[in-house]
Amino acid sequence: MSLNNILTNWSRYRKGAEEGGFHEYEHQWGMVVDLNKCIGCNACSVACYAENNLPVVGEARYAKSQFMSWMRIERYWDEPDLEPYQASPTANVDVWIETNPPAGKTALKPSMPGSYAEGLLEPGGQGFEERVGVFGTKGEMQDFGASFLPMMCQQCHAATCEPVCPVAATYHTPDGLNAQVYNRCIGSRYCSNNCPYRLRYFNFWSYYEDAWPEPLHMQLNPDLAVRDKGVMEKCTFCVQRIRVAKDEAKMENRKVRDGEFATACVQTCPTGALVFGDLQDPESRVSKLWRFHQVEQGKTKQNKQNKELRGYRILEGLNTDPSVMYLERVREV
Amino acid sequence: MSVVYSFFSGWVDRSGASIGGRLPGYLMALMGVVAMMVLAASPAHADVPNAVPPKGEHQGKHVEQPIEFPHDIHANVNKINCMYCHTYARRSKVAGIPPTSKCMGCHMVIATDKPRIKKLTEYWEKREPPRWKKVHDVPDFVHFTHEKHLKRFVFDNQGMEVEKVSEVCAFCHGEVKKMTVAEKVKPLNMGFCARCHEANKGPFDCWKCHK
Ligand code: SF4
Ligand code: SF4
Repeated sequence: MSLNNILTNWSRYRKGAEEGGFHEYEHQWGMVVDLNKCIGCNACSVACYAENNLPVVGEARYAKSQFMSWMRIERYWDEPDLEPYQASPTANVDVWIETNPPAGKTALKPSMPGSYAEGLLEPGGQGFEERVGVFGTKGEMQDFGASFLPMMCQQCHAATCEPVCPVAATYHTPDGLNAQVYNRCIGSRYCSNNCPYRLRYFNFWSYYEDAWPEPLHMQLNPDLAVRDKGVMEKCTFCVQRIRVAKDEAKMENRKVRDGEFATACVQTCPTGALVFGDLQDPESRVSKLWRFHQVEQGKTKQNKQNKELRGYRILEGLNTDPSVMYLERVREV
Repeated sequence: MSVVYSFFSGWVDRSGASIGGRLPGYLMALMGVVAMMVLAASPAHADVPNAVPPKGEHQGKHVEQPIEFPHDIHANVNKINCMYCHTYARRSKVAGIPPTSKCMGCHMVIATDKPRIKKLTEYWEKREPPRWKKVHDVPDFVHFTHEKHLKRFVFDNQGMEVEKVSEVCAFCHGEVKKMTVAEKVKPLNMGFCARCHEANKGPFDCWKCHK
């Protein structure tokens, strides 16, 4: 039956723009990220580590992009009027993104996870090495001119990761979430290669062996499994919290109320940059924001009446139909 | 499902507990199909209306408990409702073990001369709970709630009497009221759950249970 379920429902939850987008979800969890409000404090990322049993992998593995931060803060250096930044040639930078790194340094390909900024990177450009500080280089940073982009799984409705999984370990749930079933995952990593946002993280090691030395293992969240090596994982929109909220609502024979619960990152953000809710509930905060910014689901291009509105979805032109709307950062010139 | 499951069962389970058969995939699939056919034909359980009890047997290891608690005397002879002691079952994920105070509520006066009760009283006077051992355990990656199952099979089940709740408990725990210390007699693996969910039209989304 389960196989049957997978075969018959395979495409049911995966409708792209050409089919008019999604339909018939029970819920439709979505998020709004206001980049104007984000101060890049990384609290959301830390909250995600705590909530979702994410291991801290250490510097060496981090430099190899083997880190597991489901929520990562991407940094862009976008001040147009800065003096060209001179990186000192003696700066203690381990990893250089360059085709010809200085003798003794490692070249790192911009296409590795985390370098969503790849389009912005030009060898020899201003503050070039420092822009990739996201990799954990030891380079000096500019004093100002950074803008931040919190990046978690976009829970696409026509997700590119789902159809490539050979064992259906990743699939779409009736809640409009992009699910990952750890037990079923065989670690082929097709999904991660197919994710345009680079948000899937692979357990290259049995991180639990050293990530939580006693007594730190007491902090592990019992509501979700600790993953072993060989499985893929990614932001789940804190499905364990969704589950609890839905169970409670079910026990009281009512619907889940807006704002009744929030994901760990949303709960933690000190500036309220993140908003979480059910896009199917027209009264929820997220759907009001989506409506206000005239961003619609099931589209590859938004047709806004008011071009000043800041809402956009990342890479929606690829017909992934993501559930996260970003509000563009506006700067005084 | 059985195929994929039998490939990887026990693989992520850090406790090392085997959670499924290691038979070849096609055999498991075949067994699944046969089981479904049998299930589809079987009538509803005599005592629990609107329910098809799950099928499956298991021979669990005997678990040594600090006190040999006689479920049979409590639930069968004295007809105490399961939810009198396992009171959290109806309102939380776990059924819970009653606090010693609940035991003492009765055993201050009842059967105080019996050796097991004397042992219990010792614990009570030392202000130390007996360290009961878990008998029915599902792996860490499984989300299971007692409350929703009780809601479906007892409280929201038309024609079901709460007094007979032990029949519902028996779906997964076996006839505990005929045991002294509880033994695991049902496999409680994914096939067992999935077959029951199918027969009783439970949710069938992977993320409903996998976490
Ligand atoms: S929604 Fe939950 S899992 Fe996703 S980034 Fe936020 S805290 Fe992490
Ligand atoms: S917690 Fe809020 S302000 Fe801080 S980095 Fe995350 S989104 Fe930005």
